[in-house]
Amino acid sequence: MDTHYITPRNVLKDLVYTIIVSTLIAALLTFTGITTKSFIINLVVSQSFGISIFSIIIFLLWIFKPEKIVSVAFIVMIGIASGTLIGLQIGSFVLQQFFSIILKQQEISSLRAYILAITFGIILSYFFYSKSRLRVTEEEIQQERIKRLSSEKEALEANLRLLQAQIEPHFLFNTLSNVLSLIDTDPTSGKSMLVDLIHYLRTSLSRTFPDPITLDQEMDIIKAYLNIQRIRMGERLRFKIELPDAVRQHPFPPMLLQPLVENAVKHGLEPKMEGGEIMIKAIEQGDLIRIEVMDTGFGFSSCYKAGVGIGNVKERIKLLYGEKGRFIIEENKPNGVRAIIEVPKQ
Amino acid sequence: MIYKAILADDEKELRTYLKTILSEIWPELIICGEAKNGKETLELVESKRPQIAFLDIRMPGLSGMEVAKKIAGLCRIVFVTAFDQYAVETFEKEAVDYLLKPVSKERLIQTVQRLKNQLNSSIEPPARLTEVVEQVLSKLSGRGGADFLRWIKTQNKDSIRLIPVEEADYFKAEDKYTLVVTKEGESLIKKSIKELAQELDPTQFWQIHRATIVNVSKIDKVSRSLTGRGILRLKDRPELLTVSRNYLHLFKQM
Repeated sequence: MDTHYITPRNVLKDLVYTIIVSTLIAALLTFTGITTKSFIINLVVSQSFGISIFSIIIFLLWIFKPEKIVSVAFIVMIGIASGTLIGLQIGSFVLQQFFSIILKQQEISSLRAYILAITFGIILSYFFYSKSRLRVTEEEIQQERIKRLSSEKEALEANLRLLQAQIEPHFLFNTLSNVLSLIDTDPTSGKSMLVDLIHYLRTSLSRTFPDPITLDQEMDIIKAYLNIQRIRMGERLRFKIELPDAVRQHPFPPMLLQPLVENAVKHGLEPKMEGGEIMIKAIEQGDLIRIEVMDTGFGFSSCYKAGVGIGNVKERIKLLYGEKGRFIIEENKPNGVRAIIEVPKQ
Repeated sequence: MIYKAILADDEKELRTYLKTILSEIWPELIICGEAKNGKETLELVESKRPQIAFLDIRMPGLSGMEVAKKIAGLCRIVFVTAFDQYAVETFEKEAVDYLLKPVSKERLIQTVQRLKNQLNSSIEPPARLTEVVEQVLSKLSGRGGADFLRWIKTQNKDSIRLIPVEEADYFKAEDKYTLVVTKEGESLIKKSIKELAQELDPTQFWQIHRATIVNVSKIDKVSRSLTGRGILRLKDRPELLTVSRNYLHLFKQM
């Protein structure tokens, strides 16, 4: 029995069922010869039992709104027990009043026993039948849901990564301008800048990149990016990467750390006239790996609009690691921003 | 007549490049100074009085556009940009001189020709430039949306943590301060709920009570209580919030 079904429409529907079932019980009692009473007597008694039991069960369900199947069963039993008592009184009253039939005590108890047994049987079998059917569909729904959720999760992850892999046109054209100039003035630097740009582009554009990569590989791309930026910004950009050997080969999702570094350059150092420093540090901490991206740049002013990039990182960490991953942004001292990622060791 | 020009770009290599190809195309032009940010550019224009300024749009401190606003009447301006779609469209429409990075020789030849013509016929620098610059600047600042509060600074032991506003479930007034409630926990900030109400994006944050502002995207459902107020259930917090009668209209269409 569904517990949330107490609506006028459903109650009416079930009342009709109850009347039909009661009629069938009366017919069964009469025509199989279980009792020797006439159909009318059986019908009246059966209906008063049925309607009483039904009303009490509905009333109790409505009052208590039970969630558990055990509580529903308990209510049904109370309904049957009290319903038969009341039903019998009503039944005898109706028979006496409208049909001038007075039932003997013995007849009453045998009728009561039969009707009770059949009612019980019907209710119980309905109960187990619907319960087993419910379990099957619930299982199906659950499986469907899991399937859908995991594919949704994968799609979401892919989308977020794609968003992060977008290359900033400013960055691209400025870098190419630099290369063009360096070809004449300093071909060696020009060449290495181009190599870095190719490395950066290939990773950013590649959608078939092995998943996940190692922390070392992610740092490689970041280094390529920072090398390019160092040529562009000159002494306005200094950077340091600390990656202990112990975590180098640790698996890491691609393009997760890089947006933080790009943010630090774009929003932290580029707008600051004297520039500053970027420090990237990975450390093992118990069963966690903690990676910090610090800059001494502009910090969080009102013009800092990194909502999308930062939101993306947060979202991806939640998708990939659930409650085990963490992403924190702090104010760096004395100035700038410190972004911290914590992921479980694998 | 011999003309003087200044180059402004925060990237040294790009100034060098422009200088090199300019010297090939217009050898008589004197590059009388280079600037690597907006402030230096202003100083150079002041001290050297050049007839031409090549201005990179994106520079730290004052941007090229902001510099242009101040020096528009003093010299001819050629904007240089790697990629500023809107600015370029406007320049094109308004016939403002501009160069795209990487700067191509052909394009620079055209620009130099135009500059020479203008200077030789001694046409005054167009005053209209200020208008165009204003137009681009207002469009650029408007595009990022109005300046609503984006980060909430909260004290966390010895560090100041930054929470993106969209992560807040709701804000609750606590005397003069405000309690920020997120999925992870609560923290107190030194800002009154009144101040917050003015700084938050009203499409994302609704005031539902004198003392409460709720993040719309975190609302699960709102039901009406027997007393005629609203009971608001959040998606990831167990507590229920009260919507006072004055604010119930916010949920009328939902």
